[in-house]
Order: sequence, then structure tokens, then C-alpha cells
Amino acid sequence: MAATKRLQKELGDIRNSGLKSFRDIQVDDTNILTWQGLIVPDNPPYNKGAFKIEINFPAEYPFKPPKISFKTKIYHPNIDEKGQVCLPIISAENWKPATRTDQVIQALVALVNEPEPEHPLRADLAEEYLKDKKKFLKNAEEFTKKHSEKRPPE
Amino acid sequence: MAEGSGTTPGFHQLSITIECAHLRPNGFLKPNPYVEITIDGKSPRRTEIVKTTSQPKWNEEFTVLVTPASKLLFSVLDHNSFRKDTVIGEKKLDLQQLLSHYNGRCENLELTLDLMCENKQSDSPSKAGELVTFLNGLSVELPNNVNRPSSSFMPLGQTNSDTLPNRSVLNGVRARMRLHGSENIVPSLPTSSRGSVERSTVASSPHNSNINVANAAPLGPPATVPNGNVQTGADESRNDEPLPPGWEMRYDVYGRRYYVDHNTRSTSWERPQPLPPGWEMRRDTRGRIYYVDHNTRTTTWQRPNSERLQHYQQWQGQRQHIVQQGNQRFLYSQTQPAAPGPSTTLPDEDDGLGPLPSGWERRVQPEGRVYFVNHKNRTTQWEDPRTQGQEVCAELEDATPLPPGWEIRFTEDNIPYFVDHNTKTTTFQDPRPGAPKGPKGIYGVPRAYERSFRWKIGQFRYLCHSNALPSHIKITVTRQTLFEDSFHTLMRLPAYELRRRLYIIFKGEEGLDYGGVSREWFFLLSHEVLNPMYCLFEYANKNNYSLQINPASYVNPDHLVYFKFIGRFIAMALYHGRFIYSGFTLPFYKRMLNKKLVMKDIESIDPEFYNSLVWIKDNDIDECGLELYFSVDFEVLGQVVHHELKKNGGDERVTEENKEEYISLMTEWRMTRGIEQQTKAFLDGFNEVVPLEWLKYFDERELELLLCGMQEIDVDDWQRHAIYRHYTRSSKQVVWFWQFVRHADNEKRARLLQFVTGTCRVPVGGFAELMGSNGPQRFCIEKVGKDTWLPRSHTCFNRLDLPPYKSYDQLVEKLNYAIEETDGFGQE
Repeated sequence: MAATKRLQKELGDIRNSGLKSFRDIQVDDTNILTWQGLIVPDNPPYNKGAFKIEINFPAEYPFKPPKISFKTKIYHPNIDEKGQVCLPIISAENWKPATRTDQVIQALVALVNEPEPEHPLRADLAEEYLKDKKKFLKNAEEFTKKHSEKRPPE
Repeated sequence: MAEGSGTTPGFHQLSITIECAHLRPNGFLKPNPYVEITIDGKSPRRTEIVKTTSQPKWNEEFTVLVTPASKLLFSVLDHNSFRKDTVIGEKKLDLQQLLSHYNGRCENLELTLDLMCENKQSDSPSKAGELVTFLNGLSVELPNNVNRPSSSFMPLGQTNSDTLPNRSVLNGVRARMRLHGSENIVPSLPTSSRGSVERSTVASSPHNSNINVANAAPLGPPATVPNGNVQTGADESRNDEPLPPGWEMRYDVYGRRYYVDHNTRSTSWERPQPLPPGWEMRRDTRGRIYYVDHNTRTTTWQRPNSERLQHYQQWQGQRQHIVQQGNQRFLYSQTQPAAPGPSTTLPDEDDGLGPLPSGWERRVQPEGRVYFVNHKNRTTQWEDPRTQGQEVCAELEDATPLPPGWEIRFTEDNIPYFVDHNTKTTTFQDPRPGAPKGPKGIYGVPRAYERSFRWKIGQFRYLCHSNALPSHIKITVTRQTLFEDSFHTLMRLPAYELRRRLYIIFKGEEGLDYGGVSREWFFLLSHEVLNPMYCLFEYANKNNYSLQINPASYVNPDHLVYFKFIGRFIAMALYHGRFIYSGFTLPFYKRMLNKKLVMKDIESIDPEFYNSLVWIKDNDIDECGLELYFSVDFEVLGQVVHHELKKNGGDERVTEENKEEYISLMTEWRMTRGIEQQTKAFLDGFNEVVPLEWLKYFDERELELLLCGMQEIDVDDWQRHAIYRHYTRSSKQVVWFWQFVRHADNEKRARLLQFVTGTCRVPVGGFAELMGSNGPQRFCIEKVGKDTWLPRSHTCFNRLDLPPYKSYDQLVEKLNYAIEETDGFGQE
């Protein structure tokens, strides 16, 4: 497959660099187009858990960007109930074939740590975030405790 | 208990969703309830535990295996961390009874079960609450004596309310059908709105019984899967649909779910979407799978999904506008006398042009005039096929040198233009003395350009006239089977017969065809062949409604014959001077004209891909680890198709050095991938009726106009919905622009629109509904560059880059050049 060499290299690089915030990367030998891993955020309220994501690369990668979805429920203004996330770096307008997956992951981790309520996918949470941050943090923390995955050992 | 029939042996899948319960309060403490389902005393399945509530909600789906005789036990239990969990209440459900109530079908069925518990005080159990469940996906053949008479049987999908009244079916069990699982419906599903309207009409129509029979036919696995929940999200627990027949869910070694389709022997990570309401999967006599849409009584090879249905609905929505639109289209009046024959001097025997193409013969009339015979198509023409459609100005090019500082270049369409490096300007005007400055037309453009389209049409019409055959052919069609009837007639006749005068008869409708009926036939049939459900064509992308060949058309085993048929039909439209409803993409017209496709052509059909290619072109790629090789993949119908751009391309890395070659090969591949055979079949069919040489007069944009005709363009509407960047409504260039548009005739307006938006057609809803590649995109004029530049366009954004010209005349001149001769070519 045409994208295999590129993805194998990217995967190798990411595994070697030992990203603290992206762990437990699982890729099936027979299908390098689907990756799974755990996002491990540093900032409250998400630092109480970890979040499973899936990265799906199109057959035309890197001509077309990958798609990311959350497999773990998360209380976040930029991630909707279906796990869809709006990440500018992989949008159609901004995508460049030289964009590497580790950059995408870092952008995603940054977004999880620092929500952008100005560009929400969930308007209700964005409103709460802006109007009553305390309540938002409380809700998000409870939600995280209830639904998130266990954080892998440091 | 006997099995229903030989065709339904063993186990069936049944989807059970445990939704919620209403438990009677019992003491101080609220329970921690959960539900356990046991089938025939085996393999209990459990929901999550909900903490301290008597109104628990679970919404969990289980797919279980049952036989028609299974007994289902639903138990609601109270979880206790310290003691053994206690039963709050339970209910046993006899599937046999339920199925016999619903004619063997357990689909979209909401069941409310009375939960009973043993009472210590009395012998009879008392009611402890109610459990709401949702059953779906089971359909079995019952023995005839159990079958209820079909008159009292109301199949699902044929009522006109969303829910039927809740009624008691068994002791302590109330059931009702849900047409739309209200908790789970995805509102964007296109069929839901259509469904309810059509259902009510279908129910009272005589076809009703047909459908019943069809549904009850012994088809093996459960055939109809109602309720069109379309799952797009990642949340697996929302999938309250059973898998379609023949599918199976498995887990791989990592515990990840995947899906096996035993029908096609393929696997997929994505859960298959259930068939929408009214759809059914069947097999033909050769064992091939196809899908029946009982709503429209049509069939298709491709499994319907939400996107395809959306396209279909959109396609269908156009229908009412078709005939009306057909009457609005026009081109130059065809009553004008046929253009005079070729006026150029005839080439002699030894003309240096090489041999004639195969199948051609040069003949001489008794009075000495030379003409050419094309034996392949049985046509004749005056013009030499080797020089046809070429402008006769070649002799000038090498005669005199250009003035110092000037250079001649060619646009992507191979039209010469001139660069003046002294002033850094470009022009189409040949600066050499003696060049045909020619009489200027009304827009100050050399006559040679301005006359062209009208002249070209004349040439083309002349060829059609002179190859007309006597008499007529009759094409009799029924409206309901327009496509099939037309297909059989057109493919049965020898192709050249299709050049006879047409006599179209719609069965059962009086009316002589003096043109009006055949105009309607062309319009309706062109709309029909582009029906997305035939899988032959697809929209270029989700916002470009021009059509291109669908690489997945091979799901239709006969697709190549159909493409040949459509080729013949499109040629007939041109030959008989009729219009078709919806046009093709500009790159497709370029293929018809045998023009080389360039990178820019990708932009209109796949802007994402194009942008990446541009990025590779514009950046030094050696530094950024792209890991590109001369090989490439794409996905069609879930399968990845691999292609080597050159021999051993998979081992050759793309570098800064060889990237030009890579880009050129990628462009070629992107524009042809998966559609080569289909294109060839189309062109073969076309060429049998109208020789492709006859088109050589036209460029791709003219071909679109010729085929689709022009529409009266509402300039007020256009102007009202235009937007501006770095200009305002009152900027003088903007005012001049609209002045120009108002002065222009319809052809010019259509071409201007085509230049900016990629098509000469206005959406049905007018300019307010103009689409770009990222959704709705108004017509936009942006101030870009200097007044020496030519205007440029970005068809995927409907944007015109209009430099700040100094005068009205300059604006008119530059605009005319741009729209007549080139689209978006770069300037100095």
C-alpha cells in the first residue's frame, strides 16, 4: 500500500519518541490505516483520566488528512457526543501532506488541555465554560471520573 | 414446536434494547437496578447497574440468538455490594406468541412488560413495575395456519403515523410499533420525510398487495430491515439495529470489533448501516446481491447508504423542475441557414498532412470537389478530418520574429498569448506587424474570437444536416420504464439509424411528435440515466453537482453496455439539437474532446487532493519526510485499489528532482482512476452516432453550452446575491462589472458564469443557492493584483479575482479575453 511506508515511519518515530501524552498505541499489522491510543492530558479537569482515540487514515494519505474520533466519552466543548472533534490542522483547508501525525496528536492534546469555547462543537458546554467555569470544571471532573479510562502508569 | 418452514432453520438474530423501567417504590432505599436477559434459560446478558433510582434508564442494546420458539426472561435486579442481588421483578416472554401476533415479524416493536414478583403475603405474584424494551430485526416464516389473513396485517412502513397505539398483545405485555425509534433517530436521514408521505399513499394503492407478497416471499434471511437509523458516530452503544442479513460481528485479537459480510466475503471495521425503510436485499438467479426499493419500486446493485439516498432524494426533487427547465433552455435559433461549407482552400493529394485516419476515405465529386467519407460511422464531410476545427493561422507563427522583449506562450488550452517583458503585461493580441488585428467585434476583441461559438455551431449543424438519413425511427416508451424501454430501442438499432428523424411516443398518450415530445424525452431520459441509484454517474463532489463517471459502477455487471447506451444517447442529443438536463464536469468534456487533462482540472472535482498536489509542487519536498513513492492507492466500495505510477514505482522515491514527473503521473491517474473502461464505452457509443471529430470545433465549455443549452440568467438575482472582498458594492470596478454583465448577451453571461463557477447552470433556487466546495458559496468578486493582470477565477469558491482596472473599457477587454479564451491561467 502506498501510504504504508510513510505511516510505518511515522509510527516508529512516535513510538521511539515516547510521547507522554499519547500512550498505548495499538496498530493492527494487517491494517496500518487505523491507529488507537490513549490521550493522557495534563490539565484539570481531564488529568483525572485518559481518553481512547482512534485515528483513521484514508487510503489516499497523505493527500487527504486523517480523521480522529474519541472512543471514550469526554465532557469537552470541542468534542461532541459522538466523539467527533474539530481540529483545524486536519481540516480540508489547512491540510498539508507534510503534516505529521505527531503534530496532529500534539494539536489534539493541546486542544483537550485548553478548550477553545470560541469554536465549539457543543454549544451548551462552551456556554457553561464561559459563563460558569467553576461549574464546568466540576461537571467535567465528575464526568471524567465516571467515564474515562484508567491512566497508564507514568 | 415446529419450525416455521424449511427456509428458516436454526437461530435468528434479534436485537433487544433495554430502555428504561418504572419501578414501584418499595421501602426507604431506592434500588441499584440492572436487567438480566436470559434466553431459554441460557447465557444471561446484563445491563449496567444504575445507582439508586426507581426510574432507571439503560438504553443498552443486545443482539441475541433466538429460535421462533424461544422463551425470553427479563429480570430486573437490585445490585447490592454486600449481599446477594435480589430480584425486583421479572417477566417471561414467549416469542412464539408474539411472532404469531405480528405475522412472524418482530421489528420496531416497543414492548412494555409488567414486572411481577413473588409476594410473600399471597400466592399470586404482584406487579413491581414496568420495563420498556425495544425489539427489532427478527422476521421469520410462520406455518400458514399461524399466518393471519393479510387483510388485517398492516406491514410496517405503511402506516401514516409515527407510532401505533399501545395495545396489549399478551398477558402483561403491551406492544406498539415505532416507525422511528424516537430516541435514536438521526434527524438528517433523508427518507424520513419522504417516507411518511409515500407510505400513506402506498397503503391505499393497488400495489399494496404486491408488496405484501414480496415481503412474505421465502427469501431466506430476514429481508426487510425497517427503521433507518444511520449510525455515523463512534458510540457503539447507540447501534440498536441488528446487523443486516449475512453480516456478522467478530472481535480481532486486540478485542476490536469488526464486521464480516458473508454475502460479499469481505470485512470492514465499520458497522454496516441498516437498510432504510422500504428497502430489501435480494439475490438474482446468478446469486448476485441487489437491493429493492419498495418505495419507488426500483432496484439497484449498490447498497443504499445515507449519502446515496441524499443524492437520490436530491435527484428526485429535481424531477418536478425538469420539464419546466427544458422549456427555458435555448441556444442560437436553429432556423438560421446552415453555415456555408468550408471556405478554406482544399488540400491537394499531397498535402503533407500524412495519411487519413483509419476508416476514412477521400473522394472527389463529379464536379471535382473533394470530400471525406468516414466508413466507421457512415458519414461524409467536406472538411479534412486531419485539420478539422483548427484555426488556420499557423503560417504566421514562424513568419516574422516577435519584437524584442516579447515572448510567445501557450495557455493550458494551447492558445497562444504574448508576454511583453518590457512592460510585464500579457495579451492575446499578436504584436507583430501584419498580425490579424482584424476587425474588432463589439467588445473590442478580435473578430476571430468573437465569432467563434456561433460559427462553430454552424459548422457542427452543417455536418449533422449533411449526414441526415431519410425517414424516421419510432421510439415507443412507457413513462414508468423510460430507461429500460429507451435502452432496448437504442441498442437494438444500428447506431447510424439514430440519426434519422425521431418519432417519440409515450405509450397511452396521444400527441404527434413535432419536436415537443422528443424534447421532453431527451430531458427526462437524461435525468433518468443520471439517477444516482443506477450507480453509473456520481456528483463530482458533495458540492459540485456536475456529473462524472462513478468508479464503483462495476457493481452493476452490465455497466459498460449502459455507458455505451448513454454515449449514443448524448450523441443523439447533440445531433438532434436537443438539451440534456444535467451536465458533466468540465474534465469529462475535455476527455470527449481528447484534450490533455492538467493539474488544474483536479481542482473542480477533488479540491483537497488538488491542494496537496499544489503543495508538493510549491515546496521543497526533500526536507519534510513525505515518504512518497511512485505508487498510489484509492478506495472504491471499501476496497483499496493499488496502482503503480510506473514500473517498480513502489520502490522509487519522489524527490525534488523527479517531482514534476510524479505530479504529471498523479494528475493523469487521478483523472482516470477507475473509470477508463467506462469512458471508453461511453465514447464508443457516442462515436457511433456522432463522430468525435465533429466536436473538434469546440472547447469543453462550449460543449457544455451546446449540450445543456443556456438559461435566461436573472442578473438582478445574480447581483443581489453577490459578495465582495476588498471591494464594496459601490467600488467603481464593481459598478463597471455589473454594467458589463447587463450589456452582455446571454451567451456571454453564461460564459462568464461558467468561467467563475465552473458551470453555466444556475441552481434551481437561484444565486442564493450557489454551492462551492465547502458548502454554500455566494458569487464573490475579490480585488486582486494590478490592472495589467487578467481576471482569474477559483471555480471551487465561485470567486472572480478582478484586478482594479482603470477604466470600463479596460475591464471589458480583459474580462472578454479571460472568459473567451482561458480559465484561470497564471499571469506574470
